[in-house]
Amino acid sequence: MKLGVQIGALRLKNPLLAASGTFGYGVEYEGILDLSLLGGIVSKGLYLEPRDGCAVPRIVETPSGLLNAIGLQGIGIRAFVKDVLPRLALYDTAVIVNVCGDTVEEYAEVARIADAPGVAGLEVNISCPNVKKGGMAFGGDPRMTHEVVSAVRKATRLPVISKLSPNVADVTVFARVCEEAGADALSCINTLLGLAIDVDRRVPRLAFGTGGLSGPAIRPIAVRMAWQAARAVRIPVIGVGGITGAEDALEFLVAGCRAVQVGTANFVDPGIYARILEGLESYLRRHRLESIGDVVGSLRFPEGEAPVEPPA
Amino acid sequence: MPATSALRPPVDRDVPLVGRQPLEGPYVLLTFRHPEVARRARAGQFVMIKAATVTEAILRRPFSIMSVDPREDTFTLFLKAVGPGSRALATLRPGEAAGCLGPLGRPFTAPPEGHEALCVAGGYGIAPFVLFADELRRARRRARVFYGGRTRAELQLRAPFATLDPPLVCATDDGSFGHHGVVTGAVAAYLDTRPGPVTLYACGPDAMLHAVARLAEERRLPAQVSLDPWMGCGLGTCLGCVVRIRRENETRAKYRCACTEGPVFDAREVVWA
Repeated sequence: MKLGVQIGALRLKNPLLAASGTFGYGVEYEGILDLSLLGGIVSKGLYLEPRDGCAVPRIVETPSGLLNAIGLQGIGIRAFVKDVLPRLALYDTAVIVNVCGDTVEEYAEVARIADAPGVAGLEVNISCPNVKKGGMAFGGDPRMTHEVVSAVRKATRLPVISKLSPNVADVTVFARVCEEAGADALSCINTLLGLAIDVDRRVPRLAFGTGGLSGPAIRPIAVRMAWQAARAVRIPVIGVGGITGAEDALEFLVAGCRAVQVGTANFVDPGIYARILEGLESYLRRHRLESIGDVVGSLRFPEGEAPVEPPA
Repeated sequence: MPATSALRPPVDRDVPLVGRQPLEGPYVLLTFRHPEVARRARAGQFVMIKAATVTEAILRRPFSIMSVDPREDTFTLFLKAVGPGSRALATLRPGEAAGCLGPLGRPFTAPPEGHEALCVAGGYGIAPFVLFADELRRARRRARVFYGGRTRAELQLRAPFATLDPPLVCATDDGSFGHHGVVTGAVAAYLDTRPGPVTLYACGPDAMLHAVARLAEERRLPAQVSLDPWMGCGLGTCLGCVVRIRRENETRAKYRCACTEGPVFDAREVVWA
């Protein structure tokens, strides 16, 4: 399989995953696109219990971007395992559960319940900017990051992916902490903390106040951070941020990512997976490459050295 | 369980613009070729659509389906150009493409036998009532359409109702056309004439929808309202368009997606902000 990739123990038939929070639980897209096209689906963030999420307005458009504060509205891990997993079993795609918690114990408990037949891996959400507890509050603190990832690691035999926050001074510190805590891979990056203001009313445009920025507006930042993380650790990095086509996905792969996640584009363009796969195959043909792995980390700096060394 | 519509899945395709009819001001009628929307759309349903020419605004926009022509495989939108997304659509030329997903959402439900449908529209909320009036006429149900706006300039979509019987009732806040005052005032005046059984239908600004809901409650009338919150995807995945809804058998309201569980809701179930 020319497009197959290995993420730790997780085998993906192609490097395209749907990013958490942008693809529901997968089943919403049944009948609109063939879910078996995807290498994998990362679920909406799941806690032990169902959650209401933030007040409205929850989304606002900014130039080439989407600022959101949904606040992890969700059905809870038990309903996911009972009602959604059987429906996803009909498709040839890896199901990855995005694990959330208000406490370290909750992350571990969700991870234990998520370790169910049909689940291929877990992604630890230590980077959501739109909740008061957990999320970015944990992912912005190296000690808490270590604690949460270790707890999830101990709770499951499934591959553990840690989703990093870009809202830190040095992403490589957090990448290394996750690796030490036993993560099998990293997702880089979650949304960037942003603020949009209604100047007539002089209030934030989102009910929560701040929100997370996604979409093409953040892509160069995401590529840079994924590149830094990939140089800092041995475990695979999955690139996320503003992918709208094959060329965008290739940027992350060339930068050193083993796979990528498509996020905001899912809201606009359900046909994107078929198009990116076609684009990747034609890229391999054009560059006479055997497999997509030959692209990973192939970034060259013509002057020999990276112009900007990632901070140590 | 994620809400999955009992309706058939929408179809995602690039659609060419095949007709364009500018009206006064920022209003325009746009006709696109999309066979599934043309054949399956019911009044109150919508499409998510975005001109291929716009990149700065990344999301598709929701628009009520105004009318369909199944023989030509086309549907028509009534559009008010207000922001970058709608302006890009409004300036498309025939042959140019838009990405389009539809038909989406739960449509209006026909009134019970013997009821007259009172359709209350505010501004561009008139659009779904063109299709609805057509459906009701073919089902031999009585319909009366009330169309309100701030000024005459906002009442741009009167032509499709030219043959409506009884005729379209217009109202403007400034009295420049039709009744002087809010459209719900004209509806209340009609209800005061003690017509037979009626069901209310409303589409327009939130304040108008809320006024219709209050009117329905006071007079103990069934009412369906089409909500128009900011919408991101149309598929129930971005969770941006949630509204507080409390179903009859529930003790507390829940956030529900207007795109998949609406946009049409029973007015009694809406928890108004």
